Amino acid sequence: MTRTQIILTRLVLLGLVVATWELLPRLGFVNPRLLPPLSDVLTMLGQLLGRAQVQEAIWVTAAEVIVAFMIAVPLGAAIGVLIAENDYVGDIFRPMLFYVFSIPKSIFLPMFILIFGIGFGQKVAYAAFSTTFVVIMSAAAAVESVKADHILVARSYGATRGQILTRVYVPSMLPVLLETLRISMIFNFTGVMIAEMYASRTGIGHLIANWGENFQMRQLFAGVILLAVVAILFNEAVRYLESRCSTWRA
Amino acid sequence: MQHMASLTRLHEVAEPTAIEVARLSHVYAGPEGGVPALEDISMKVAAGRFVVIVGPSGCGKTSLLMMLAGLRHQTEGTILCNERPINRPDPARVGVVFQEASLFPWLSAVDNIEFPLALRGMPKEERRRHAEAMLRLVGLEGFGGRYPHELSGGMKQRVSIARGLVQDPPVLLMDEPFAALDEQTRMTMGHELLRIWSTTRKTVVFITHSLTEAVYLADEVLVMSARPGRIIDRIPVTLPRPRTYEMMATDTFGRLRDRIWQQIRKTTQPGLA
Amino acid sequence: MPLRWPAPSTMRWLILATLLVFWELMPRTKIVPELFLPSLSKTLAVLYSDRLEYVEALGVTLYEVAIAMLFACGAGILMGALGGGVALLRNLLLPVFSSLYAVPIVILYPIFTAWLGVGSESKIAFAGVYGFFPVMLSTAAGIRTIDPQYVLAARSMGATLSQQITRVVIPASIPTVLTGLRLGGALTIIGVVVAEMLTSAAGIGYLVTRYRTILDSPRVFAAILMILVLSVMFDVLARGLERRTLAWQTAGRRPRRSREIMQAVPAGAPA
Repeated sequence: MTRTQIILTRLVLLGLVVATWELLPRLGFVNPRLLPPLSDVLTMLGQLLGRAQVQEAIWVTAAEVIVAFMIAVPLGAAIGVLIAENDYVGDIFRPMLFYVFSIPKSIFLPMFILIFGIGFGQKVAYAAFSTTFVVIMSAAAAVESVKADHILVARSYGATRGQILTRVYVPSMLPVLLETLRISMIFNFTGVMIAEMYASRTGIGHLIANWGENFQMRQLFAGVILLAVVAILFNEAVRYLESRCSTWRA
Repeated sequence: MQHMASLTRLHEVAEPTAIEVARLSHVYAGPEGGVPALEDISMKVAAGRFVVIVGPSGCGKTSLLMMLAGLRHQTEGTILCNERPINRPDPARVGVVFQEASLFPWLSAVDNIEFPLALRGMPKEERRRHAEAMLRLVGLEGFGGRYPHELSGGMKQRVSIARGLVQDPPVLLMDEPFAALDEQTRMTMGHELLRIWSTTRKTVVFITHSLTEAVYLADEVLVMSARPGRIIDRIPVTLPRPRTYEMMATDTFGRLRDRIWQQIRKTTQPGLA
Repeated sequence: MPLRWPAPSTMRWLILATLLVFWELMPRTKIVPELFLPSLSKTLAVLYSDRLEYVEALGVTLYEVAIAMLFACGAGILMGALGGGVALLRNLLLPVFSSLYAVPIVILYPIFTAWLGVGSESKIAFAGVYGFFPVMLSTAAGIRTIDPQYVLAARSMGATLSQQITRVVIPASIPTVLTGLRLGGALTIIGVVVAEMLTSAAGIGYLVTRYRTILDSPRVFAAILMILVLSVMFDVLARGLERRTLAWQTAGRRPRRSREIMQAVPAGAPA
């Protein structure tokens, strides 16, 4: 199959999904109250985007995501570099971090609520908390991805510490760094969503949870589509950058 | 041409033919009509002989071996093994020993050796008896329970040879089996292979990059040209058997080695010849 | 006398012990209010006195986890095998799946509750989807990354197509598939807990939320402690199982390098 054929087939499949979503409820195969036709959902999405309440929720969520990201990434990166560069610290914490991944971070939400109350600070704190671990791991991985041989070669040619940093570390780490940012953002976004859905007064996650409880399926599906599109677009944009930066990688 | 014909005739008189390749050519499908990989290869290997094929990288040695093993189909020409054509893998006639990675890591050494027998549905006990005999043959008695990651590179290749021989095929094909070993292990393994060969009297076709290894092991060395691969020289190795390490220091050994090198140099750097 | 640092593993136990001591002492000395963090002894006492309630909740949670894992693993292995084995499907669909992976799956949960109610069904459906992705992606990867040399060797020994699949492809992909199952299992536990915390009427996650709303911190922490133990125990068990199954290789061990851990963490694994 050629590239164009693959893209065409994918478009056809997408078309099938869209058509099924539209036709099943329209023709009465499924209850439109449970699955509203896609066109209704999209119309609703347009209306929602015009509402002040929804716009405010979007801004709140966006602000939470950005602030949490700005806290989690530097913090996690610093710890990650420490783990990668210091063998002793690394040996201690690496196995611990491994367990951290299999623990549902959401169980600590009650603590964040007790300490920060229900609001902006609590969402940011929880999302940053749940993101930091993945940043630690991927930052450590990024540093470790620099080949010791390359550093040795650079040193043998008399490179200074600064030159080793800018000419060996940065170019070798660049693709992994972008991957780090991308994965961290996925975690971060999820963290904000869970915090908002759990207990909140505003934000898109809060609206989605509410719509679900009140059986407002058109609003619910519109919200889900909006979030999914934003997440996928961000992810693909960074993946595109990754592929641009890693042409030298096999 | 005259010279080659006389050589093959010499072998024909001596022993029956184990492998006969006639006018074999191969073209890889490519965007613009395809890439010729092998061109007009003809060769005869008498039963029980040790033939080594050398040639520059990418000359199609491995492709040729894959075709002898029935793992790949040639575009043109025929391959006969014991006078019957080869067009699919037939482990009863041809055993294959690959480069490093071909032992199954999830099977112990003895299970790896039994693998081809298990494929045929041979009962467990009979299988085990054959495999144990093979372990003894390759000098690994007592190591059957080890997994590949617990064996050294040389031991892995011994297991691999045992696996190739366990069905007792008359022909053994070896694709750079010692390429991943260090020089010292490689020498030992070459010597071991000759010992195994002298007790089993198989016909061996062996591919290598090492000229020393080629001269040390072979009855006859076939030199292939750069792509598209052709056979450009057949060099009979007149050193007596059994071979010893001391022979490597002799003039004959040096002259043979040099002749192969000149041929390879000619085909890779035609301007310098 | 140069100061010698203790071995990393000793240090880990020391850190854990210190944390537990702090958990006990910080609330006792009123440095941290009891409402934020009830002491360890108090938490354990509550866990013991209310053990019937907690064990019952654990039963509900485990039941949901078990069924969800069954779905996630079954569907994940099937789809992964298809995606990894059939080049057409792979080129067509795997990139689509990895794009979809960026979507926080938790936003689908309200749809499941609307469709299936607040009972176990919605938890099972949600956690099943949550665990499905890593199982599918690692099964596909496991099949795709088999050394072609193995298949070639088997063919040279006369293996038929079905023998190549049962004797080479399946055993060769088992390590990656098992890793996928462990991650998928961990994620189904996370999925069930998150779902129970968000909307439900039973299970340990539900206890966390119920006692949080009435500000009964010791009971909240008792539930948190139980979930922590459950997750870590699952990981230890799954890893032990991997080690036993894969005696022939060095799998199931703790990864030495961060990169290996990262590769073992599916991108959609937060929460």
